[in-house]
Amino acid sequence: MEYAFFLGCTIPLKLPHLEKAFRDVASILDVKLKEMDGVSCCPEPVSLQSLNIDTWMALGARNLAIAEKMGLDILTICSGCYETLKTVSVLLEEDEKYLEKINAILKKINYKYTGKTKVYHFVEIFSQPEWLNKIKELTIKPLDDLNLAVHYGCHLIRPSKIMQFDHPEKPEKIDIILEALGAKTVDFATKLECCGFCARLQEEIGENLVEEKMTELCDLEEEVDALIAVCPACTTQYDRKEKIIARKTGKQLDIPVLYLAEIMAVALGVELEDLSLKQRSVKPNKLIEKLTT
Amino acid sequence: MAEMIKKNAKDLDSNFRYEISEKIGAKSLLKCIQCGVCSSGCTVTEYVDMQPHRVVASCLLGLKEEVLSSQAIWTCSLCHRCTERCPKNVDYSFILALLRNLAVKEGKIPKEYSGTVVTIYNNGFVVPYTGGLKDNIDRRRKRMGLPEILPPNLDEIKYIIEETGLGDLAKQKEGDK
Repeated sequence: MEYAFFLGCTIPLKLPHLEKAFRDVASILDVKLKEMDGVSCCPEPVSLQSLNIDTWMALGARNLAIAEKMGLDILTICSGCYETLKTVSVLLEEDEKYLEKINAILKKINYKYTGKTKVYHFVEIFSQPEWLNKIKELTIKPLDDLNLAVHYGCHLIRPSKIMQFDHPEKPEKIDIILEALGAKTVDFATKLECCGFCARLQEEIGENLVEEKMTELCDLEEEVDALIAVCPACTTQYDRKEKIIARKTGKQLDIPVLYLAEIMAVALGVELEDLSLKQRSVKPNKLIEKLTT
Repeated sequence: MAEMIKKNAKDLDSNFRYEISEKIGAKSLLKCIQCGVCSSGCTVTEYVDMQPHRVVASCLLGLKEEVLSSQAIWTCSLCHRCTERCPKNVDYSFILALLRNLAVKEGKIPKEYSGTVVTIYNNGFVVPYTGGLKDNIDRRRKRMGLPEILPPNLDEIKYIIEETGLGDLAKQKEGDK
């Protein structure tokens, strides 16, 4: 399997350890990643779409056109990139006139998007039955002792008429990947709540949302070893806000937040010292202890 | 909660609903039945000065100025639950993006939103990637054995931003947002 690998900005430039974990996983599972030359920010779905939809669409279509030239579908590792590229591709597929308008802009820089590029988030690939089997086969260090909570995040699954990813109110694709690795996943009421990262106008929105979810996870009967996310924004939002909440309220929430590819890499046999699991605010010390004993 | 708005019929912008609904993805605005499902599931419903169903009603009524000046259109966390759950398939979260676009045209842009395009214009990425910052990033990636970042084609990106009308905003100085 070969994909045009759309890295985005936040992961390669700010959180390269997440990229490292993903590349390790891809290499073990034999997914070939072709680097994309000349691509820009996806562009970021929140503010750029807010400022000007045409700019957002045209920059997105240029990225899609680069993949089209490569003759490959796109693989993303960030829910923001996934949302932008998928939405742009679906809307342009639905609206021929708009596609013409965007192509008129792209023509001056010698691009043409014909609508052939498909966009995937890596969760979408790895949750397919044949990949789950492969993951099970290649799991060296099953996560039998781990109790994990999944955060899907909004942009991965909604709006479902565009994302066509999973059930919008009862998704299971990340859970089944973790189960294939041997872990247990927990059910909880705030599972589908937003992380609040994109609510930029008021800090307290994010803080309240993070506090609500993490408090619930702390109060569950069974101890939760980590929250697993698939988007760099959600991952850092929970990790950083936990510490801010602790400073403000004295509540020690302290549930480590891991990116899905990191925990996959552990189970697939990547050495812990080759991953940067401590590179976050809430150190997963207990989790590392469990993984090494 | 929004205060009651009193306005004479002649002061309403009766064309506002069409200004929105003619745009790609926004035709659904006209189908709203004011059931309020969007507002009941909204992540930020308790933080906004106008709840989603009231924003839609105000658009339909022609309260353009009130809508475009509201804090509600910028408070949204883009969780898309409104769009997902609407029984009439009104795509509220996308309509909200259009409303933000219209507010931007009137110069109403919160600073939390204006900086992104400046960064993308100058770097191609939403994260600064020039000078010393670039060196640090490159060093860190090298240490991890990651491939070099392939530079975005800045001329093409600048052209698209200018051609689609965000050139003036994008040419502001970084940090001067």
